Amino acid sequence: MLAKFALFTGFSALTLLAQDAGDGGAAFFEKNVRPILIAKCVGCHSSTSQPIMGGLKLDTREDAIKGGSRGAAIVPGNPAESLLIKAILHTAGALKMPPGPKMSDPETAILAQWVQMGAPWGKSVVEKPKEKYWAFVPPVKGSRNSIDEYLQAGLAAKGLKPAKPADKRTLIRRATYDLTGLPPTPAEVEAFLNDKSADAYPKLIDRLLASPRYGERWGRHWLDVARYADSNGLDENLVYKNAFRYRDYVIAAFNKDKPFDLFLTEQLAGDLLPGSSDPATQYERWTATGFLSLGAKMLAEDDPLKMEMDIVDEQLDTTMRAFNGLTVGCARCHDHKFDPIPTADYYSLAGIFKSSKTMENFKVVAKWHEYVLAPKEDRDKLAAHEAKIEAKRKEIGNISKAENDRLAAIGMARMGSYLLAAAHVQRDQDVQVAPIEDEKAGVVRAAGSYDNGNVPKQLEKKKPNTPKDVKGPFYAEYVIEVAQAGDYQVDVFDQEKGAGTASLYVNGNWEARGADPVENREASPEAGGWSYIAIVPLQKGKNTIRLEHPSRFPYFEKLLIAKNTLPRVPLSRVQIARKYDVNPGYLENLVEYLRRSNGATASPLYAWETLTDQAQAPALAAKYEAEFNEAVKAGKGPLYDFLHHKFGPFRAPSNARQYYKSEVREQLAKLDAEAKALEAATPEYPKAMGVTEGKIDDLAINIRGSHWNLGAKQPRRFLRVISGDQQTAIGPETSGRLQLAQWMTSKDHPLTSRVMVNRIWRYHFGRGIVPTVDNFGRLGEKPSNPELLDWLAVRFVEDGWSIKKMHRLMMLSNAYQMSSDYDEKSFNADPENALLWRMPRRRLEAEEIRDGIMTVSGGLQHDHPGGSILKYKDRQYVANTSKGGDVDYDKTIRAVYIPVVRSSMYDVFRAFDLPDPTMTNGDRDATVVAPQALFMMNSSVMLQHSARLADRLMQMSTDDAGRVREAYEAALTRPPTPQEVDQAQTYVAHMQKEWNGDRRKAWQSFCKSLLAANEFIYLN
Amino acid sequence: MNRHWNSYLNQTLSRRELLRVSSTGFGSLALASMLHGASSADPMAVKTPHFKPRAKRVIFLFMHGGPSQVDTFDYKPLLKRDHGKPLPFARPKVVSGETFNLLQSPWAFKQYGQSGAWVSDLFPEVAKCVDDICFVKSMWGSNSRHGGALLELHTGSDTFIRPSMGSWVTYGLGSENSSMPGYLTICPTQSHGGANNFGSAFLPAPYAGTAIGSVGVPARDAKIPFITNTETPRNIQRMEIDYSQVLNRKQLETTGPDHALEGRIESFELAFRMQAEAPELQDLGQESEATRKLYGLDNPVTEDFGRQCLMARRFSEKGVRFVQVSHTYKWDQHANLRRDHEQNAAEVDKPIAGLLKDLKSRGLLEDTLVLWAGEFGRTPTAEGSDGRDHNPEAFTIWMAGGGVKPGFSYGATDDYGYYSVVNKVHFHDLHATILHLLGLDHKKLTYRFAGRDFRLTDVHGNVVHDIMA
Repeated sequence: MLAKFALFTGFSALTLLAQDAGDGGAAFFEKNVRPILIAKCVGCHSSTSQPIMGGLKLDTREDAIKGGSRGAAIVPGNPAESLLIKAILHTAGALKMPPGPKMSDPETAILAQWVQMGAPWGKSVVEKPKEKYWAFVPPVKGSRNSIDEYLQAGLAAKGLKPAKPADKRTLIRRATYDLTGLPPTPAEVEAFLNDKSADAYPKLIDRLLASPRYGERWGRHWLDVARYADSNGLDENLVYKNAFRYRDYVIAAFNKDKPFDLFLTEQLAGDLLPGSSDPATQYERWTATGFLSLGAKMLAEDDPLKMEMDIVDEQLDTTMRAFNGLTVGCARCHDHKFDPIPTADYYSLAGIFKSSKTMENFKVVAKWHEYVLAPKEDRDKLAAHEAKIEAKRKEIGNISKAENDRLAAIGMARMGSYLLAAAHVQRDQDVQVAPIEDEKAGVVRAAGSYDNGNVPKQLEKKKPNTPKDVKGPFYAEYVIEVAQAGDYQVDVFDQEKGAGTASLYVNGNWEARGADPVENREASPEAGGWSYIAIVPLQKGKNTIRLEHPSRFPYFEKLLIAKNTLPRVPLSRVQIARKYDVNPGYLENLVEYLRRSNGATASPLYAWETLTDQAQAPALAAKYEAEFNEAVKAGKGPLYDFLHHKFGPFRAPSNARQYYKSEVREQLAKLDAEAKALEAATPEYPKAMGVTEGKIDDLAINIRGSHWNLGAKQPRRFLRVISGDQQTAIGPETSGRLQLAQWMTSKDHPLTSRVMVNRIWRYHFGRGIVPTVDNFGRLGEKPSNPELLDWLAVRFVEDGWSIKKMHRLMMLSNAYQMSSDYDEKSFNADPENALLWRMPRRRLEAEEIRDGIMTVSGGLQHDHPGGSILKYKDRQYVANTSKGGDVDYDKTIRAVYIPVVRSSMYDVFRAFDLPDPTMTNGDRDATVVAPQALFMMNSSVMLQHSARLADRLMQMSTDDAGRVREAYEAALTRPPTPQEVDQAQTYVAHMQKEWNGDRRKAWQSFCKSLLAANEFIYLN
Repeated sequence: MNRHWNSYLNQTLSRRELLRVSSTGFGSLALASMLHGASSADPMAVKTPHFKPRAKRVIFLFMHGGPSQVDTFDYKPLLKRDHGKPLPFARPKVVSGETFNLLQSPWAFKQYGQSGAWVSDLFPEVAKCVDDICFVKSMWGSNSRHGGALLELHTGSDTFIRPSMGSWVTYGLGSENSSMPGYLTICPTQSHGGANNFGSAFLPAPYAGTAIGSVGVPARDAKIPFITNTETPRNIQRMEIDYSQVLNRKQLETTGPDHALEGRIESFELAFRMQAEAPELQDLGQESEATRKLYGLDNPVTEDFGRQCLMARRFSEKGVRFVQVSHTYKWDQHANLRRDHEQNAAEVDKPIAGLLKDLKSRGLLEDTLVLWAGEFGRTPTAEGSDGRDHNPEAFTIWMAGGGVKPGFSYGATDDYGYYSVVNKVHFHDLHATILHLLGLDHKKLTYRFAGRDFRLTDVHGNVVHDIMA
């Protein structure tokens, strides 16, 4: 074998063999092989490659033996069977490595030699980190016993001291906004100031934690993480009408201090928890899984598998960011570049979501799954009812198809007649018939003078006439008497264009097709005129002229019937169809085809289309008819394909039903009515978005993220960097979502508790101990105080994952009660306040600004029962809601109940940094930009509520100084200084002059200025 | 009570002084706080590009719906010859619908200008400008639906929500006008991704496109949100702001230096200026009769789009970095190709030609990149009898000014215009090229979010150097 290789490469391998220094080949590898691998291979084939091409890593011997998506790269001792060697020799089919120039013979020989030697290795090609990254090691409680002790250690190291305690007003304002998102009322402030007991502050915290307003504030924090929204908002912006149930679930969960491990489990696998006999609990668990379903999805994607894999990816990425602060989504196409998350692990986890059912289908536009929140017997009833509707629709479809097939078969056998009829249409459509216009030439009937009919006597001009209480078809019949039998011309007086026409029937015979009326014809001229409809045969004496439209009767003013004077009578298409005994619908299709084809050489009717001698037409038509009949008999061939093509002449024509046998029509009408009645009778139950179990299967690696290019199947299991290689894979009986939740909430999981306490810390202190709250990986920032983070994480689990206990722990710390005062020395030493030498000042968030303004004005209501104020139906397309009209954004309910419409977000949310509701974001920005100032100056919220506040102040039975005091107390939680009272009064007096004596306007100006001031939207 | 309320202000600092201080002095930090964190720069400050730019600004004329390449700029004589025949090669693996045999263009093509570019009868006015235009006839994208394709065109991703190209450009270059947003989009679409097409996603909010009006709003009524106050006269509003600023100034004396508080003081001044400047910039009455005519403002068919184009020029002239103009969701001719493509072209032909001529005569075309594009093209095969389906496999876009080769055509499709075959240009390549023209290296223009450095072109994109002058 060796000789063969040496021969093959034209290089003597034997000379190299001598270089084995008796060290098992390590030196040979280091000297000869490693340089080649580094120069030619590891650029694309190592754990640090971006992407790792073909999944092949050459970092270690094991990696090389394991190989990539194509299997083993080397077979030690057997170069001829080693893919790596075949690839460099260009004998592995299309696989030629490295890209570009072929490796030199000496290089190939060295590698072949090396494999022959059994592929000895030196150290790993890429250095592996020796120590496990901190975030993958479970937290351990340190020796200190309070937040302040841990912080103190950090401050002392830098020689810093914490700021002095904040005053009571600052404290109640801070704590109330923090826990409820609202300012304290002046009465609450007074009560707190007057409570001189030692535990006044802990009591305040307890009161706030017990308030239902607490869940509305902290639930909203979680909604940021859960990328909550009320519409899909990616490509097709369909309403998630039932998303609000998840939102309300979250608010309630916070209010009742649902342990976080249960909260997590319900969101990932509520449906898989052991069944509850309490329906409310069961519905709650289903609703919780809305977490997985709320993401933005490409609902119109022509590739259904891509759609599904994108949804899985979104769920996986959101879950791992939200609960574990890991960016696992990065590993979809290649091993994670910075964290030890291989692509294989991604597909292990993705398999769990792929085995779950989020969508009912992946059609364009796809439909998501919803739970019916009703007892089993009701759900069964609903399912049975929906099955009935479906069956009815299917029956209608089957009958229609059978009838279409029957009619088409008749038509296909008579192509000759169709061709001759089409030729007649082409001849006659060139004959322009002028309307007679002379009313004395015949009989004139006003539209409303019908003898029999169901349309209004006064027809509407600019829109179709569809009388509400009447069932179509709509018609008007005129009995006309003529002295002589013969051809008569029928004209109508209508609007110049677009009025449309009804179908014309004479003595029960269909004579001319109608054209639908055009709506919104604002631009068309008012003046009417006569239009030609058809020339029809009338019998001597009474004739019935009937104008009919199935659904939208067009406007006309009057009707003229006069003796035909034309030498040759052009026929309508309907009349021609009758003359040749063909179906008018198929005839239309064929005429349209001939018009379009217009002599195309590829057309099967080419000979017909280019026929010049019309005398030959009947013979040619007969020939075609015979050929088409042959083709039908054969069941294949180009003529057969032509007849059966989707756009061929025998496709179902428009209004196909009018050509059905009357008993079929009646049957269908009856079925239609039944289906409609069934639909109307569908029982309505509350529904919630959520996931359930799907088709359970492991997922193959999608090489470079492409589902067209599959690698090896991966067992469903968890991240190996945390749980190692020896995991029991999840079996075929379950998706594994429950196991995933159990894994995340297990006591020694290194991330779940840390990530959540860090989120809570971030919302209290403005900055996480790990500042990148959604990323604990290597690209995230390091914890500023790792011991504190661990201590809190362990405490959290010890306290039964209670979030409220964590609030108490944090808010009762001295750190939280510090003032936000500036200190130059501390500022210079730690400008970012990472060590927390003072309480950071913070800008209120979007909801707090809106709710705060409305609270100060006295306008905010707390009686909203939850639910959605979106007026849309489920799955309806959202128009531009930011324009208003469709959604009452100014409604005086808390902002958390205002819908979050993706890609058409409420102006206030957008202006004040509500995070993009398509991605987990636990760290809101607090930008300061001009559009926010425009909001403060000009928005309806500001104008309405500054006016309301002004009214409230003016109605108070106090003097102007008292009004100023009230405004300050309500808006800023402090009394004004005497100078401020004086200044405000001067200002109001001045503004009253500017507003021409309007006192209310002057007070409103004052209120606007006060609410626009920094002190209102910044919290000390 | 006879003191003027403002005297308190005068005691400490006049408003003018206040402003001066807050934009220099310790207030130099003021604008910094407009960005989250403590970065030292105004997010909209003009930034130095990576290398010498060919274009300073962009006007993007977006034809929503997918104009047909084979009926506009990509002349295919064989399509006429083989009209009615089946497509002689395989269709793409993923298509949005079923189409029939080849359908010739209902419009005649002629050659124009020195460059001899082929243009159909749909665009007689644009045809006169071909010597300034650089056609790219080999575009292709990855998504056959409007939503995915729009997002891909605007953001580079048809899978996730990502910052739009205008946001990246503004992030990379800042704005040359301190009283206007750096990225404006006039009457943008609300469907098919809606605001995601001009959103900043994870880039800071100031880089999001500011919508002026919306689809369905006539261009003459299009306005920036919250820009007007119908209740409060301007002089009174000035006093209201002044009073707030008195309170703010006083508070600052007690807080120590605070970027955010100082920045917010400045933000009100900027907003007040913007409120004055934006309506003036939108006032097309200031343009001469000849200019208004040039853009077709005298014709009801072209008026609306003409207004958008003229507004775009006025914004560009005043240093707005990226202006998008949308001809919203009109070009989707699954049926009625003849009637509707004709109508659509009639609405935009004259305004576009007007814009190009106007920019040229003002010397603006040199450093303004004009981009004309839809989200995909259409099939050369027939849908029904008078329609064409979506086709991301091949379409034509064109650019003018801003450093592209004038009178040039790049790339080619197959004989019928179904697939791009020669010098294919993907959206990622287009994005890389546009950034390059603006002096930005698409591989270096990154933003770190959630632990990853993101790019407009993700991990793709090749600059098309061949189309640069």
